[in-house]
Amino acid sequence: MHKQVQAHTIHAQIIIISDNHLAPRGPDLSDTLIKIRGMKFSRGERMIFDGIDMDIPRKGVTAIMGPSGTGKTTLLKLIGGQLRPDAGSIEVDGQNVHKLRTSQLYALRKRMGMLFQSGALLTDLTVFENVAYPLREHTRLSEGMIRQLVLLKLNAVGLRGAAQLMPSELSGGMARRVAMARAISLDPMMIMYDEPFTGQDPISKGVLVKLIRELNDVLDICSIVVSHDVSETLSIADYAYVVSDGEVVGHGHPDELNTSDSEWIKQFMDGLADGPVPFHYSAAPVLDDLIAGNLKP
Amino acid sequence: MMLLLDKLQSIGHKALSSLQRLGRGHMFLLQVLPALEGMLFRPSLLIRQMYSVGVLTLLIIVVAGLFVGMVMALQSYYALVDFGAEDSVSVMLVLSLLRELGPVITALLFAGRAGSALTAEIGLMKATEQLSGMEMMAVNPIERVIAPRFLAGFLSMPLLAAIFSAVGVMGGYLVAVELLGLDAGAFWSQAIANVDLYHDLGNGMIKSAVFGFVVVWIAVFEGYDCVPTSDGLSKATTRTVVHSSLAVLGLDFVLTALMFSE
Repeated sequence: MHKQVQAHTIHAQIIIISDNHLAPRGPDLSDTLIKIRGMKFSRGERMIFDGIDMDIPRKGVTAIMGPSGTGKTTLLKLIGGQLRPDAGSIEVDGQNVHKLRTSQLYALRKRMGMLFQSGALLTDLTVFENVAYPLREHTRLSEGMIRQLVLLKLNAVGLRGAAQLMPSELSGGMARRVAMARAISLDPMMIMYDEPFTGQDPISKGVLVKLIRELNDVLDICSIVVSHDVSETLSIADYAYVVSDGEVVGHGHPDELNTSDSEWIKQFMDGLADGPVPFHYSAAPVLDDLIAGNLKP
Repeated sequence: MMLLLDKLQSIGHKALSSLQRLGRGHMFLLQVLPALEGMLFRPSLLIRQMYSVGVLTLLIIVVAGLFVGMVMALQSYYALVDFGAEDSVSVMLVLSLLRELGPVITALLFAGRAGSALTAEIGLMKATEQLSGMEMMAVNPIERVIAPRFLAGFLSMPLLAAIFSAVGVMGGYLVAVELLGLDAGAFWSQAIANVDLYHDLGNGMIKSAVFGFVVVWIAVFEGYDCVPTSDGLSKATTRTVVHSSLAVLGLDFVLTALMFSE
């Protein structure tokens, strides 16, 4: 496994230096890594997912898009077993995530990587120590080997020179790249990206887009990108799901979504203010509130 | 009538949510206690937390102990001198410190300094998704974050209470002997003759261990269970100090009644 880790990383380094073109490929839908069936999840009385089905291919970049508050991050937490659905099932690599014992779930998570929106770096550790953290926790590699691996992972995301910095000294984009290096440190079979482009300047966004696509291709894994940045996400996605109001409202190859007849997908893709998702939050008629004084201060 | 029902409903809702929190707190403790065993194999985690929770609390404990001891000596002297019993100042001082003031004041200061820091640190780790990040790296945050802090707090409290009492006695000695002119030999001989190692010192240590357990339990639970927002974190930190202080004072009465009643 250690040799495999090194080989992947060195390969990643070479590919990134060569600056390959970011070309989405057609996914192999017959080989599914994540299978979601009839999954329901609610918070209090608010239904987040109302019996959704999804198939996420074993290889390639799959985008999950939708407006803010539709439960995209919640979906990643459900896939990672941090939340439990009210009904239905989520299978990852043939294992029903929510029927696993804790030790089995942790074993499965060693094969998953996750990039949180904030980076979620451990703030009392340096960049180097953050990337080394999963290796120290789950392997018995020598310090020399860990050092080499960490530096290669950091080199793959372009931050080898920042190894001794503390997380507080990093910009948002750098923190996400460090988190990316940490997420690939155990050579996972999949990486989940939670809103990787939010709040990034155009250069950082471009770097992240490039890294997500290239790491996916080099490591030959499944990447799930949850985002509402339509153009960036679709530029690297092989397949995309659009979710809203607890349902999957559309899915397919990015080109298919761009030419979809669905009013909902058109509104989302074109960023229209009004449409199936109304501009106004559900309320009584305006006259009732303004004249009759129904609205409590 | 509707207003009354609303009021009743609100009271019922608050009572239920308090009971739920109490239940969650106990379930949390049941997760933490088995994880303490892991500290045997990762002593570095414990040592780092002992420094953060214990050593960094030393200054406030030493300063407070010194002044409490000095004030106690003064007050005891003024109360006893009228009866010609000023030689008993040391007895009053040492017994008060060992039995009550040492464990109780240390626990209150510990809750304010280390307890609130623990809650804030863990709550901030939750708010910045560090705990979730650890879970997704297949690292149990109860084992890596909570257990070392819990054990460090539990072990630090009796040590801090002992230091508080020792410094308090020294402060009392300075006032009674150096300032008020009592005889040093009488000061120490009275203290030694009237203090029982097991009954006074032992029970004081047991008290401080119990207080340490409760304070650190409340502190780490409040951090782990807090709403991960700035408001939630602020409320959790406040709750840690208030609940810990009340728990310490309430438990002190119960323990004193059990330990020192004839």
